[in-house]
Amino acid sequence: MSMLPAGLLNEPGEVTSEPHEGPSSTRGRSSTFRRITSAMFASPAAMLSAGFIILIVLIAIAAPLLVKVSGWDPFQYDDSAINPDLGGLPIAPWGGISAEHWFGVEPQSGRDVFARIVYGARVSLTIAFSAAAITTIVGVVLGMLAGFFGGWVDQVISRVMDFLMAFPSLIFMIALLSALPAGNRPVLLVMVLCIFGWPYIARVIRGQTMSLARREFVEAAQASGASKAAIVFKEILPNLTGTIIVLVTLAIPGYIGTEAALSFLGVGVVPPTPSWGQMIAMAVPWYATDPMFFFVPGLFLFLTVLSFTVFGDHLSRAIDTGETQK
Amino acid sequence: MKSKKLVLGLALASALLLTACGGGSNTPTPGSGSSAAAEGAAGGTVRIIGPEYSHLDPAMGFDGGVTNFYRLVYRTLTTNSTEEGKSGEMRPDLATDLGTPSDGGKTWTFTLKDGIAFEDGTPITSAEVKFGVSRVFDPEVGIGSPWAKQLLDDGSGYQGPYIDKDKDFKAIETPDAKTVVFHLNKPFADFSSVAGQNTFAPFPVGTGAAGAFDAKPIASGPYKVDSYTRGGGMKLSRNEKWDAKTDTVRPAKPDNFEFLFGLDGATIDERMLAGQSGDQNAFQSGSIQPANVSRLQDPSVKDRAVRIDPICTTYMTMNTTKKPLDDLKVRQAINFAVDKVSVQTAGGGSQLAKFANTIMPPTMLGWVDYDAYPTPDNKGDAAKAKAMLAEAGFPDGIELTLDTRSGKNQGYAESVQQSLALAGVKVNLNVIDPATFYEVIGTTSQQHDLAVTGWCPDWASGQTFLPPILDGRNIMPKGNSNHAQLNDPVINKRMDEIAAMTDVAAANKAWGELDQQIMETAAPMVPLVYENNVQLRGSNIDPGVVGFNAGVDLVTLSLIDPGK
Amino acid sequence: MITYLIRRVLAAVGVLALVALLTYWIFFALSADPAVMICGKTCSPERIDQIRATLGVDQPFMTQFFTFIGGIFAGRTYGTGANAIECAAPCLGFSFQTNQSVLEMIGDRMPVSITIAVGAAILWLLIGVSAGVLSAVKQGTWWDKAAMMVALSGISLPNYFIALVLQYVLVVELQILPFPSTPAFGDDPMFWFKSYLMPWTVLAFGYASMYARLTRTNMIDTLGENFIRTARAKGLGSGLVLGRHALRPSLTPIVTLFGMDFAGLLGGALITETVFGLNGVGKLTSDAISKNDQPVIMGVTLMAALFVIVANIIVDVLYTTLDPRVRTKVA
Repeated sequence: MSMLPAGLLNEPGEVTSEPHEGPSSTRGRSSTFRRITSAMFASPAAMLSAGFIILIVLIAIAAPLLVKVSGWDPFQYDDSAINPDLGGLPIAPWGGISAEHWFGVEPQSGRDVFARIVYGARVSLTIAFSAAAITTIVGVVLGMLAGFFGGWVDQVISRVMDFLMAFPSLIFMIALLSALPAGNRPVLLVMVLCIFGWPYIARVIRGQTMSLARREFVEAAQASGASKAAIVFKEILPNLTGTIIVLVTLAIPGYIGTEAALSFLGVGVVPPTPSWGQMIAMAVPWYATDPMFFFVPGLFLFLTVLSFTVFGDHLSRAIDTGETQK
Repeated sequence: MKSKKLVLGLALASALLLTACGGGSNTPTPGSGSSAAAEGAAGGTVRIIGPEYSHLDPAMGFDGGVTNFYRLVYRTLTTNSTEEGKSGEMRPDLATDLGTPSDGGKTWTFTLKDGIAFEDGTPITSAEVKFGVSRVFDPEVGIGSPWAKQLLDDGSGYQGPYIDKDKDFKAIETPDAKTVVFHLNKPFADFSSVAGQNTFAPFPVGTGAAGAFDAKPIASGPYKVDSYTRGGGMKLSRNEKWDAKTDTVRPAKPDNFEFLFGLDGATIDERMLAGQSGDQNAFQSGSIQPANVSRLQDPSVKDRAVRIDPICTTYMTMNTTKKPLDDLKVRQAINFAVDKVSVQTAGGGSQLAKFANTIMPPTMLGWVDYDAYPTPDNKGDAAKAKAMLAEAGFPDGIELTLDTRSGKNQGYAESVQQSLALAGVKVNLNVIDPATFYEVIGTTSQQHDLAVTGWCPDWASGQTFLPPILDGRNIMPKGNSNHAQLNDPVINKRMDEIAAMTDVAAANKAWGELDQQIMETAAPMVPLVYENNVQLRGSNIDPGVVGFNAGVDLVTLSLIDPGK
Repeated sequence: MITYLIRRVLAAVGVLALVALLTYWIFFALSADPAVMICGKTCSPERIDQIRATLGVDQPFMTQFFTFIGGIFAGRTYGTGANAIECAAPCLGFSFQTNQSVLEMIGDRMPVSITIAVGAAILWLLIGVSAGVLSAVKQGTWWDKAAMMVALSGISLPNYFIALVLQYVLVVELQILPFPSTPAFGDDPMFWFKSYLMPWTVLAFGYASMYARLTRTNMIDTLGENFIRTARAKGLGSGLVLGRHALRPSLTPIVTLFGMDFAGLLGGALITETVFGLNGVGKLTSDAISKNDQPVIMGVTLMAALFVIVANIIVDVLYTTLDPRVRTKVA
């Protein structure tokens, strides 16, 4: 578990189903869009998770402002909040939660957990979003190339995908990250996530492109002499939009989880830069003496991953339903 | 110079030694004085839970933990005392005395005791001692304590008894079965301590090639290895051929030892805290983690904690070849700026660390207590540091890069970063993976301005502490240990003078004074903390005495009721 | 079928060779000098060079790589003279840290990893698939909703988080279970079971959640397909329809996934083993990584890749026998 593709493998049944949308037309697409949004708005679970995602994104963006309000920056020590004679345990109960420190303090340093959570959201989300964006672009482009052109192009891309998917990726990511210099850890993390992540997207896109390429409207475009590039970008890509959106939504929690797992294993974001996984890793030894310290970042990680998954689920279902209703 | 990688785990001297050693600790300890539990009896099986040992071959292993273990299985010519508070002192072991110097300390003669034998009954004679020591010259074997190799190298290019099978190694002579004569390449007054290094364990002539001892040692000490599973565990039983009458050092009361390896620190803590079935006969060979220190308050745990006094120092070196650290004023300012209380908390708080002001830890013989850069409550003096920086020509502060490795040392680095920021010193952390840390900071071209690292002595003399880390002639482009790259002719010369002293006690005192002189005149580092272990014992364990290694001397452990 | 198999096996060998080359190259190019780590505290440049020569890491990359590959097929000799060690094929080399044969090290730890993987697999298949089938059949009921809620949490909760919460509650507070360890089955079967129960549960939870969701989706899809409707219309009992017609096609993707997941686990449940301190291949891997023990990392990576690739082939073969729709394509 916590392997990179987990987020994507969650729903292969739904994601790999047939292409969702029929021939593209502006009117048809906008009505599909309306149907999907209204389906999403009708579901309280989807709305709750969307709400939480928006909240976390806002928190991440407004982090510097929020810590001004709370009064502690994420690196600042507060030795009045911890007891050096008890191994640096927070003095106040519940992990040092007080009017001063809203989510408590970190043992041994007294750093403010609230500030670290909001800054951690920045790091975790930036990494997950960047990885999702890059893997999507790479996966969609290569997947479409393989699916549309077939032949040796498909052979090469498919073999590379097989190869990357056969790789023990978690072992390799850890080994790679521990060997690389610590310098720019977030960038390295994104890179490593991308190298092993794109085949899972490309595989789906390839399959769908293959079946789309056989549809009448593509054949019609071909017959009318449209260039290959035009067919790929004007005919096929628009029809993949739904799938791509679902893939991205489901990839993000996977990356958040993997980033956290890598940080947990000690090869992720380097402290003092906070990330949620790294905060959990730091809290592990303290789980018996300071459970709050463990619980707070765990809860945020859980809720964020859950929200993305629920949202992705509903989105995928809404798109599916739209398809069958037609 | 035990492996630096275990700097953090090393410690010395128990709660019982606190007063004996003087400068131990000034904070109340839950464990201190508690080891006055019931006296242990002979027999039974003691369980040791902790990290796995690096090598069972004594020529290869060289850290506090494994050296402690070797005392169960191997004997050496001399060895550290098991008397309370005197573990830094040497006692005769296989030899009848601490050796007789001649030729101005260049030749050392030892006479072996009668009735000493290996586990298979083979008597231990001078030939076996010579064979054991000569093994360190094998390039694949001699990766442990370097002292024998450094002092006995006769320039003949000898490569040990496996490669140079037919060559006689002339630096060690065996005129008869009971006499061993060592010809050193320079006078060395403290050779009695060298003869207690792991590499002075005897072996039957011709054994131990191809890493054989790492799987199955040949015991000369009170226990022999019955079985050993890498990553799992090891069982020792009494070596019947070991005669207690020949060994005045090792109490060796239990009949068996059972080691459990491969458990992680948190699990060991939980098991030891719970003390459930079987674990009442267990002893923790590592240390309790900072997160569990607060649980020592529990009355059922309180008197099962044994606090160890430190033998290592964790410090931050300042690279004296880099600007602006080449300026003594800047280095002194940084010494004033560091909040040592905060650093101590990062090390686990008052129970697991004490802030350091000297280069050497208090347990060194001849240690001098001083504080060259006192600040209020040891919490740093940012204003004074700022003023000194301005005086040195940096009124707008400076920016430095600090090399550290992930783990505990990173906590120190982050704490230093915070307190230096207050004095206008911006510190950028370069966090290096522990696997590559020493490669980076030991390569002078890759090393940055500051580095958090540490040192442990090989025996309780400044000889094994100051020269390796501060002698300018020890600076090497690769594998360097003088991370401050300090090359001060006055200090170098003084080191030579002390090394040439024939009175070991006077030399030790001189090392203690040099420690202070270095900090006052050169300030190449900021001493941060002396870390100490707190070890948990099962309720049926008599923790015995703390040795000169990673805590309680294993060979002094015993069961209060061996029937349990 | 035979030619198909041969083609697959050949491709697998190619992929393995690539994995080996790439892994070896990355560690050769990026990784720290193992000699410095071994050299330890009292080091000198000469000693580093000496150790490098002993380890063979002073050779150029391709020489090293081919010596390594040669060792796998023909064995190799380490060291010289009296210190020489013969390493018979298939030789994966010796650990830099412990001088043990890598193959033996993996072999020693395999039983623990297999025990963890098999136990967890049984748990997650039983619970995951049956929960999924039940949910699909009772679609929309409170059972379905509850089961899917649990499954959602299961895939969203990091397993190290679950592991520590369970350990705290069951071991530290309630003391129902012992601390996870790896006792021998023969000594005390009950203790063995209790010691492994928590690792199994933690490992199985995430997978069971995933499988439950997947089974449910597939079942619902299949139940809606024409041939099921036909079978129902023909008056076949619902049990029979479920068992014979609906379950089989719904399970095909599960078999594929299971093969890959299980094979992945044989390479070590890295996080579970690390969190509980269980001495399996996963723990061996994370220890080797932290100590930069390259031969061990190489060995484990290769072995893990081998498992995945072999599982891939087995799954594809099974697939053709399980799902009649695919059968014609391959044969």
